[in-house]
Amino acid sequence: MTCKVSNHICISVLLVCSVIILSRCVSEKKHNKTTEEKGTYLYSEKILYAEGFMVDYYEEYTKVTLNNPWQDNQEPYTVYYLVKNDSVETPPEGVRIAVPITSIAVNTFSYFEFLSLIGNLENVTGVTDGFRIYNPEILEDIKEGKIVDLGDPFNPNIEKTIALNPQAVINSAYAQIDNYSVRLNQAGFPVIYSLEWMENSPLARAEWIKMIAPFFDKMSLADSLFNDIEQRYLAVKEITDEVDQHRTVMTGDIFQGTWYVPGGNSFNAALYRDASLSYRYENNKLSGSIGLDIESVLTQFGETDIWFGCEADSYTELAAKDSKYMLLQPVAYKQVFNNHKRTTKTGGNDYFESAIAQPDLVLSDLVKAAYPDLLPDYSFTYIKPLN
Amino acid sequence: MKKKSTIFAILILLLLVAFICDIFTGNAPISIKEAWSSLFGGSGNVIVDEIIRNYRLPKALTAVIAGSALSVSGLLMQTLFRNPLAGPDVLGVSAGAGLGVALLTMLSGSAVYPFISSMGSMAQVIAAVTGAALVLILILAVSTRIKDSITILVLGMIFGYVASALVTILQSFADPDSLKVFITWTFGNLGDVTWNKMPLLVILVSAGLILAFVLQKALNSLLLGENYAMSAGLNTKRARILIISISAVITGTVTAFTGPIAFVGVVIPHFARAFLGTVNHKTILPATILLGSILMLVCDIVSQVPIANRTLPINAVSAMFGAPMIVWIVLKRKKL
Repeated sequence: MTCKVSNHICISVLLVCSVIILSRCVSEKKHNKTTEEKGTYLYSEKILYAEGFMVDYYEEYTKVTLNNPWQDNQEPYTVYYLVKNDSVETPPEGVRIAVPITSIAVNTFSYFEFLSLIGNLENVTGVTDGFRIYNPEILEDIKEGKIVDLGDPFNPNIEKTIALNPQAVINSAYAQIDNYSVRLNQAGFPVIYSLEWMENSPLARAEWIKMIAPFFDKMSLADSLFNDIEQRYLAVKEITDEVDQHRTVMTGDIFQGTWYVPGGNSFNAALYRDASLSYRYENNKLSGSIGLDIESVLTQFGETDIWFGCEADSYTELAAKDSKYMLLQPVAYKQVFNNHKRTTKTGGNDYFESAIAQPDLVLSDLVKAAYPDLLPDYSFTYIKPLN
Repeated sequence: MKKKSTIFAILILLLLVAFICDIFTGNAPISIKEAWSSLFGGSGNVIVDEIIRNYRLPKALTAVIAGSALSVSGLLMQTLFRNPLAGPDVLGVSAGAGLGVALLTMLSGSAVYPFISSMGSMAQVIAAVTGAALVLILILAVSTRIKDSITILVLGMIFGYVASALVTILQSFADPDSLKVFITWTFGNLGDVTWNKMPLLVILVSAGLILAFVLQKALNSLLLGENYAMSAGLNTKRARILIISISAVITGTVTAFTGPIAFVGVVIPHFARAFLGTVNHKTILPATILLGSILMLVCDIVSQVPIANRTLPINAVSAMFGAPMIVWIVLKRKKL
């Protein structure tokens, strides 16, 4: 018996040891950043809403810092040193990129509009999931073979990306390190991480135009573009300030049996606040989404005034999908809207593309739907009422 | 005997051909000539060299390692449990690895992020190995107390179901993005093993394979039943624990590095026995290694065929490709 037990313990100890050794073998151990700045600091770009990035100007280079949204300490997610001159020395940590970039693979739909606004859409040489793209210029270039489709955005084709030889790749960053980015970095292709989706307000997300602009040496243009966006957005918001009776709102739809609704600290909740709409979870602290079942949705949102983000195109379709939808008050009063105004047959939807850079239009859509009298001359951009 | 050595010579040749073909196929437009010169000397093109040397070459090597490891693991399980349906996943080790990765994916955005991020790109491997090791410890704890192998088989499957159930629960709580990250892992991917990860994979798997060779006598006597093996002087309990440990360690390691790959482990041992007409492990073990490697390489080549701009998941290709082969064998021999 003792022999058995000791055998057992031995194997367990061996296993635990191997796990520890494994974790010691970590190759890309991050250095503690005690960055020794090699340049002469000039000034920093004013970032008004976004919390995810910083742009600092040095005489020799521009430093773009992406903050780590999952970690409270000051260690950045990535630092980029943008140089216009090859002879310039940059600190050893961080990614050095020669600017302006002339070719870029964009694995997230959110940046097409930013690039279009600063006039660099033609520098895009690779995208993912081409069939789900709305931007007509990109679609045209894919058809003509000027842009290569790299496949699934969650698992883009490594070989095709490397063969494309882009100067940089924009890739969505998640809390986990992805092997695609690791590989690209090892092969010497800088990855610009897209983290704008972690921002919790429409203006903060739109401000990421200032993150991407320095890579194309277009900062002053981006700055004035964002000022316009901000002014237009605040103007619409101001119109709704006079609303006394806030209408109530529900959002989302069933996805595989779960109805995901945005948390109170999320992008959508901020949008509803700015549109003077009342949302049941507006005081909730979550920035992600909350999964509900249909029963909770019926009890919590059954009596709301308006429903945004429905997946159906008509009330008949909605009734056919699930008769329980009919119990919702917005369905009875025909106050249901989807985001399908600008879509392509194969699944492209501009609501996931240009809307990020046009938050004023997104807000106007909500205001027009909820309080039509406030914007009499406006017609919907991204949303439309169900038939 | 002569026939056997001819078969082995053919298999080795096939393996070499499959290996080279695998390096020649991919989504980047690289000619055979360019690929060849990149392998031996350098093509003069940095991009071609990067793709061939740092992507396709380790991917082909991983295919060989994964194919042989999973097939040997399946063979060990089929011999130990004397069950033709047994495979590397029957002990629940792959499900344990899946649970580790699921936990990592769903938790990575939470308070434990700094810990996870400190593991860098090895995080997924470490999570999978930990999950697999936990299931293995459970199995070993059980197997020291139970005499009957079939009971261990059933318990292993139960552990596997529990791990899968936990994964399902985690998935139901996950946000759509993490869910997609995890689902992508379950597709399997031979291309994730970079050169700096390769030594660990090679060391762990080859240690397992060498031990399997050492155990071939014990495996052969187990074929005649545990009672016979015991009367022939085999310490069946020790042999059982060793076999289970080897199988679990190589399956867990491969799953950790490549994600789950189905079917290969169940099919290849049958294929090897049918091909060589013997159950003797001295012959079957090397044949299994060769056949497993060849099948995995062929699967990798097939998975490169772009359909709607995506490469096919290796986990699906292995089953799609493996199933017709086993059906063919069964029909030809009218038995397994």
